[in-house]
Amino acid sequence: MSDTRYAPPPGPDTQARPGDANTTPVPDAPDAPGTGFAGRLRRALEPLPDDAGAADVWRALGRGGITAALYASGHPAGPVELDRLGALLAALDARGDNGVTLSVLVQTASALPLLANAPGERCATARARVLAGDARVALAATDEGAPGSDLTALTTRVAVRGGQLALDGGKRWITNALGAGYLLVLARQRPGRHFTGFSWVLVPADTPGVTVTPADTSLLARSGTGHLRFDGVRLTPDHMVGRPGRALADFARHMATERIAGAYWAVALTSRVLRATQDRLAHRVADGRPLWQNPVVRRDFAACLVRVTQLRALLDTVTRRVTADRDLAWAGLLKAAVGLEADAVLSRCAELQGADGMAADGAHRIRAEAAVLGIGGGATDLMLAQVADRAETFLDVLGAHP
Amino acid sequence: MDERFTAVLLPFLKFHTDGPLEPESDLRGLGLDSMQAIDLLFAIEDAYGISLPDEAMNDTTFATAGNLWKEVSAVLTGQPGAAAPGTGAA
Repeated sequence: MSDTRYAPPPGPDTQARPGDANTTPVPDAPDAPGTGFAGRLRRALEPLPDDAGAADVWRALGRGGITAALYASGHPAGPVELDRLGALLAALDARGDNGVTLSVLVQTASALPLLANAPGERCATARARVLAGDARVALAATDEGAPGSDLTALTTRVAVRGGQLALDGGKRWITNALGAGYLLVLARQRPGRHFTGFSWVLVPADTPGVTVTPADTSLLARSGTGHLRFDGVRLTPDHMVGRPGRALADFARHMATERIAGAYWAVALTSRVLRATQDRLAHRVADGRPLWQNPVVRRDFAACLVRVTQLRALLDTVTRRVTADRDLAWAGLLKAAVGLEADAVLSRCAELQGADGMAADGAHRIRAEAAVLGIGGGATDLMLAQVADRAETFLDVLGAHP
Repeated sequence: MDERFTAVLLPFLKFHTDGPLEPESDLRGLGLDSMQAIDLLFAIEDAYGISLPDEAMNDTTFATAGNLWKEVSAVLTGQPGAAAPGTGAA
């Protein structure tokens, strides 16, 4: 069995620190029926009501030790156990609330590993509370002054004045903005577009000068998506996260995890919708026969199934490439495939479901919510441009013979 | 600049045509955008098993092949790089 732990390119601040909670290593394989990760995950989620929100789910995962168990050392500075992260996202997807799944994905794959870079007691306390499920953290990168695909143009700024950090600006469309105890904010420290001019700042959500407003959307309702304003926010210097000049590099370091996590979710979600579509086609009758027996319908369904199977195979391939070679370009290719394939499959499934697809939580709504897979964390067009930049790398692999 | 350095650097320079890479070669002009510079940083730090110092994390370091090599070689030899305090570099 291949190792599916992803250790990002090593940073100097990625060691677990004394005093951090949940540092007990978690065994890799199940010890006995019901005592392994799958059993613990089931026990954590089963007691939750069907309509449990992001806060309740996050608390259950934290208290059940699930969140800590996603990292090899029990600490988010450790390698991410990708198979466990995939199992978690599949289990959450089966609950059918895409907003909650997105909330957990961003925290586990990006925000917590980034927070692992933070030295000092203050950040350790925040990290421990988030890991234990007592608080949530929002990753605030997309800026009100620049599109998400152009991070280096962001205008939110942090400066050191009179021995304090001064944070001003705004963030838009931030998952977990509503209800998060902590905001991990990407801010500009120097003018210009070079990647070394930015910093992460850990902002307690109740700090004076922080304003949170809900995003004007009915989609992904329980993701807590909202907009943030920082007006004259003052913080002590120990709220700065990571080494100077390395904020975007740290972000990129963990981006591969988020992209692989997104692919796990996309496979689970498209598989769930395919199964629901097949069920509807089997029970919907036209001209005296179930639609499932219509050759055109079967062909289109099969084409969708092939797409999802290809995506699953690509996920395995990319996971091997990223974990073995740490070549992050493969994660970008995977992200592009997720954006293209998920939308194609979900759109066709919605059409195949006919009017039923228009139901309140039907296939059309799921398709609209799943558009986040092609937007958040890198838009599909941007990913395709990066694939073109590294075309030789991919062609070399495709053309290689064993 | 040693051969390993140019071997790591060249794949990131999509506009570089045949010919030697000079110390004054403008990395941005040769196709290295800001986000790709992050991948280059990882590649260099992986290749040499080093971590560039905080003082070297600025756009001047990544402006030319020579500037970047100067910081890498400074870490390798334990000498202050161009970005060290008092050298006048940004």
